[in-house]
Amino acid sequence: MKNGQKGRLPLKRRRLKQQKAKQADKTAKLEPSVDSKAPLSDSLRANENTFRSIYDNSSDVIFRPFYIGEQVKALLIYIEGLSNIEEIDDSVLSPLIKSKADGDTTVDTLINKKVAVSDVKKVTTFSDSVKEIASGSPVIIVDQQTSGFALGLSKWENRSVEEPQAEMVVRGPREGFVETIGVNTSLIRRRIRSPKLKMKAMEAGEYTKTAIKIAYIDGVADQSVIKEAASRINRIDVDGILDSGVLEEYIEDHPQSPFPQVLSTERPDIVSANLLEGRVAILVDGSPFVLIVPATFYSLLQSSEDYYGRFLIGTSIRWLRYFFLLISLFLPSLYVALLTYHQEMVPTTLLFSIAASRAQVPFPALIEALMMEITFEALREAGLRLPKQVGSAVSIVGALVIGEAAVSAGIVSAPMVIVVALTGVASFTIPRYSASAAVRMLRFPMIFLAGTLGLLGIMLGIIGIIVHMATIRSFGEPYLSPMAPMKWRGMKDVLIRAPWWKLNTRPRFTGETNDYRQADNQKPSPIRGKD
Amino acid sequence: MRRLMVMKKWLITPVAILLMLLLAGCWDRTEINDLAIIVGLGLHETEDEEVQLSVQIVNPSSMASGQSGNSGQQGTGQLTTMEKEVGKTTFDARSKLQEKVSRELFSGHNRVVFISEKLAEKGIRDHIDFLARYTRPRLRSYVYVTKGVPADFFKVMPDLESSSAETARELADLRIGMSVEVKELLQMTADASENAALPIITIEGEPPHSYGLRVQGAAVFKHGKMVGQLDDSATRGVMWIRDEIEEATIMVQPEGETGYISFLVLDATTKLVPEIKGDNWTMTVQINAIDDAVENHTTLDLMKPDTIKRLEKQLEEKVEQRIHIALEQVQKDMKADILGFGESFDSKYPDKWEAVKDNWDEKFSEVTVNIESDVEIKRPGRSTSPPALPEDEVTNE
Repeated sequence: MKNGQKGRLPLKRRRLKQQKAKQADKTAKLEPSVDSKAPLSDSLRANENTFRSIYDNSSDVIFRPFYIGEQVKALLIYIEGLSNIEEIDDSVLSPLIKSKADGDTTVDTLINKKVAVSDVKKVTTFSDSVKEIASGSPVIIVDQQTSGFALGLSKWENRSVEEPQAEMVVRGPREGFVETIGVNTSLIRRRIRSPKLKMKAMEAGEYTKTAIKIAYIDGVADQSVIKEAASRINRIDVDGILDSGVLEEYIEDHPQSPFPQVLSTERPDIVSANLLEGRVAILVDGSPFVLIVPATFYSLLQSSEDYYGRFLIGTSIRWLRYFFLLISLFLPSLYVALLTYHQEMVPTTLLFSIAASRAQVPFPALIEALMMEITFEALREAGLRLPKQVGSAVSIVGALVIGEAAVSAGIVSAPMVIVVALTGVASFTIPRYSASAAVRMLRFPMIFLAGTLGLLGIMLGIIGIIVHMATIRSFGEPYLSPMAPMKWRGMKDVLIRAPWWKLNTRPRFTGETNDYRQADNQKPSPIRGKD
Repeated sequence: MRRLMVMKKWLITPVAILLMLLLAGCWDRTEINDLAIIVGLGLHETEDEEVQLSVQIVNPSSMASGQSGNSGQQGTGQLTTMEKEVGKTTFDARSKLQEKVSRELFSGHNRVVFISEKLAEKGIRDHIDFLARYTRPRLRSYVYVTKGVPADFFKVMPDLESSSAETARELADLRIGMSVEVKELLQMTADASENAALPIITIEGEPPHSYGLRVQGAAVFKHGKMVGQLDDSATRGVMWIRDEIEEATIMVQPEGETGYISFLVLDATTKLVPEIKGDNWTMTVQINAIDDAVENHTTLDLMKPDTIKRLEKQLEEKVEQRIHIALEQVQKDMKADILGFGESFDSKYPDKWEAVKDNWDEKFSEVTVNIESDVEIKRPGRSTSPPALPEDEVTNE
């Protein structure tokens, strides 16, 4: 942390310098500068002028002057499209305009007696008002008053809650997060109703003023992780955070690593489950992906469906996933190493058929493998980016050209196509896209190592990857825990998916403050039911 | 300046690693299509007392096309080719052979090693050293002694398998006759007794119309030289003693019957129990076998316990008889301990073994052998009483 603060100073300074230069520029152009920290004055005209200069050249900001009780001047400011106009008309404007002429017009009286809106907030400074207006709450300022009030009547177009496209389940809730942070918090709150669920509000981005919420369960989550998350977010001093992916990169422990150290998900049920395990969720406005910290490597390999299905099946599917993780990382490199250095290790008859199919291939196995893997990645990327209508064309061309035609033209061998296809399928069994991307990327250095050093190279690669993974941490939790450091307690949710009644303790690192998550003896049995 | 240093450090490490990989280079990289995959190695001695090395090399492309439906001969060519060369030593011959084979000779997938009878008589010690020392040929190849020149064996186009080497391997895998891997041969020759037995293989059918191979008997080696050959039944006897029997058929002709009953040995175990009393060395061979009746040409009812008892007795005699045939040849005539007696004495009486070690061949021939066989007929077969006989003709005792 000390280093962080040290490094932060010059950065902050440079930014301030820039701002000063900008301001100097503004004054040079003789534009009215506004001290937004200043409190509202009691003159409506002065306040209006200040607001108008703040929202200079902003045609989407609406100023609506009106009289309260035909006497006292007032001004309504809101941004077009961010506020519920009908509600403003019915519950605010009409009662105020129709109120008695000689009534009390102090802000408190207005809030308490006149305005039929549940969410009303008093604002006293320009900066507060601007913040409220920006978040869609119309602000009303009244003549002769040094404060105004903001109405929580924000309403804008947002996507409805849908099934997350990137994280499908067969069994389990089909709700996914949306781009609006309020909806997202409500989705979590609906699952965890205890008041112990806390949502700490933060903000980041010089211009975007992105709302960020740190969610955790008080008494379950480790306070140090919460503090660490908050301090890391506080540190961020950038123009804007447009997606949680941007924030992720700013708060990660080891940004150089290919492995994601933050778990991101679109599913409220996954976030809730992780909160219950003592982890901390970070919600970012404008992004349907919620970040969960700390994340371990194994948590990236868990799917929510592991927990909703029967535990035996969940366990075997988890094993299948582990196996295919290895396949997708090592199969092409093993193939290359065996074919170029260790032919004696291939079963004899298999060697004959591989040799036969490779007879016409002009490239060495290493080049062939790299070529095919890169082509496959290109196909995947193309299929992902193209409009849906064209996407099917790409897959047809890919399957035909890369598969059938390339083999019959003698450019690649059929076994290589099988290897690449199997690798591709294997990489999609990893439930987290960011993790599967890491594995797919690491495949290439592995192939290269295999092609230059054979099995020795593969071993070097494996050692390198494992050492790297053992080195990194995510918010204090070792990345490979509970495997390294070895904690048997955590194995029941890593090696296998133990039945729910046996998952009685929280993971070691995240759930230390509150070990037990359920009562003992929860295993169902007919005898216990009769008690 | 510091920034630049950091940048440099960042750049230098990956670049250095990359260059290191290039340094290691792919110098021993061989593409699979540049390999001549050898499946059979043959060793023979020419008239000029030079080593003749013959190899069987597969032609993968025709092998693959043969697999995909075409009848083997109609493919792009022969499934295998045979190449041979002579040299002062085995490796010398191999080096000369490489001069005329366009692909790198690769014996990592070698299936069999054929040693000609002639070379076997001269002694195989020197050549075994090549198989043990040169790291490429696998130690799991099967070793055979050929009746004839190995090169001829590699020219045989078998009906069922893709190559004659493959045929020989499959025959060894069946364990009908003896099967010895290079590794086992090395163990046998390195043993205290220094004796070994190898299966003999012959060509079926007259060349060029030969269509297969046959395992026939075994060759007995003493101090690296072939000293004699055993016929099929003696070989079986040896295999009984060596506990190598996996599947065997035994026929017995019960007393007072004209037909035979065939039994299939399901499980046979042999234990050697050595004993030294004074100057008297005895070896007890304990055999336990479980049999299954598979064919009954007699009128006997195999459901009768008495009959079974009698047959069991006869079977035991039969097994002992086989072992005696083997002992007669191996122990008395050749005086070559290929039965593992030496090891057995060595492990139980190391001191006394040490004394006779150098004179073991003589001592071996004097060892008294007791055979204790216990054969059990477990199942009389699917049909119980002789099915082809009317009930009144079944012998009832």
